[in-house]
Amino acid sequence: MKFLCVPCDEPMKLQEAVGPDRGSMSIVYHCMICGHAVAMLTNQMETQMVRSLGVKIGGRSEEPAPMEMLHSKLSTEAPSQSSGSKCPFTGVVAAAYERSAGPRWSERAERRIQAVPSFVRQSVRKQVEEKAQQLGYAEITEEVMDMVRKELGM
Amino acid sequence: MKSYHDIAADGGSNVVGQVEGQVARLRARLRRVRHVVAVMSGKGGVGKSTVTVNLAEALLQQGHAVGVLDADINGASIARMTGVRGFVPRHGPEGVLCAVSISGLRVMSMDLFLPGDRTPVMWDAPTQQGGYVWRPMVEMGVLRELIADTAWGDLDFLLVDLPPGGNALANLADLLPELAGAVGVTVGSGVSQLIVGRSITLAKEIAGVEVLGLVENMGPHVCEVCGHSEALFGDAESVRDMAHVHGVPFFGLIPFDPRIALCADRGIPFADTAPDSGAASVFAAMADRIALRLLETDLVAQ
Repeated sequence: MKFLCVPCDEPMKLQEAVGPDRGSMSIVYHCMICGHAVAMLTNQMETQMVRSLGVKIGGRSEEPAPMEMLHSKLSTEAPSQSSGSKCPFTGVVAAAYERSAGPRWSERAERRIQAVPSFVRQSVRKQVEEKAQQLGYAEITEEVMDMVRKELGM
Repeated sequence: MKSYHDIAADGGSNVVGQVEGQVARLRARLRRVRHVVAVMSGKGGVGKSTVTVNLAEALLQQGHAVGVLDADINGASIARMTGVRGFVPRHGPEGVLCAVSISGLRVMSMDLFLPGDRTPVMWDAPTQQGGYVWRPMVEMGVLRELIADTAWGDLDFLLVDLPPGGNALANLADLLPELAGAVGVTVGSGVSQLIVGRSITLAKEIAGVEVLGLVENMGPHVCEVCGHSEALFGDAESVRDMAHVHGVPFFGLIPFDPRIALCADRGIPFADTAPDSGAASVFAAMADRIALRLLETDLVAQ
């Protein structure tokens, strides 16, 4: 999309892009010759259409971060979470707890670790959790346990 | 008065330049991938993902470096089937690190970004109303990022597991002109063959993609006890004939083997579990033929 100052017959330049505010953007263009300015005001659908292209109105000064669109647009709330607790801090507390709790153990993996003799179980569990985290796993499944065993040469 | 075409730039946003930058990033990533092969059907439920994973394992066993991209954004299943669910993609020096399965497949899937089993893929927007207009655009953008921003390393093959829908291959071919070809998957039913047949026509005649071959999935089940063989979908219409009609190679018939689904559920390679099975031999033969065909293409290109 381009803007033309009709009296001057000259292309207009982007002056500023403000928003989104409640889904709307205000994009101001001005004529370099006569100084006349116009603002394009987008509705929610128009804003969303532009955002869906993965481009930035007003231009970019740096390269997009890897998976920028995915990370910026993916909603990470389960539908039940958004309509569950009415406490405003529930999500924050749950997230903080999850961060500090270490990797989750699947039911099958938990059964398998329980089969390890009790006097070494804690040590093995810790080793598996540390290695799984290094490998980037947030959940320990039987497959992850096999992978960790292979990695540790067990 | 000047027209659109008389004015060189867009006044400051450089939208065209930004889109060109996205494409350049994709091209740069794919320079380290020798062959991109899509697995398609157009029809849901025929076992595209199962064929993708097992074909990838067969290529891996031949000594190739293989990546699998789960292009089914809303129905991602590859992470589970390769046993890498729970892997959290982190940023590395060359991009986002992909998961590596126990056998060595490099995997990227939308599933790895979802926080839990009950969280569907939802995109933040001021309103979800009218999402049917912009959601496909976001999903194509995310698919582009999953390919371009993943640190795949050097790959011989990148297999792309497509979602159902006849247009999926055409969209991918638009995004990736480097696409070396596609593998068609169908089951024996006439309904499936009708839809897959249309997808093959679309691939060859509209998208201009070579269909490397067609494979029939979920073939007859052979009883382990008495050896009786029973077709799941009847045998009225032959997939071999269908391949012939469409002028594409027939890769063979994968017998129905419950162990394939069991391995997929557990995320372990079927080829390791049942290396001597009929299904494993079909996957191995497919891998041979695809590798050979693309080697020929390489030689011609040189």
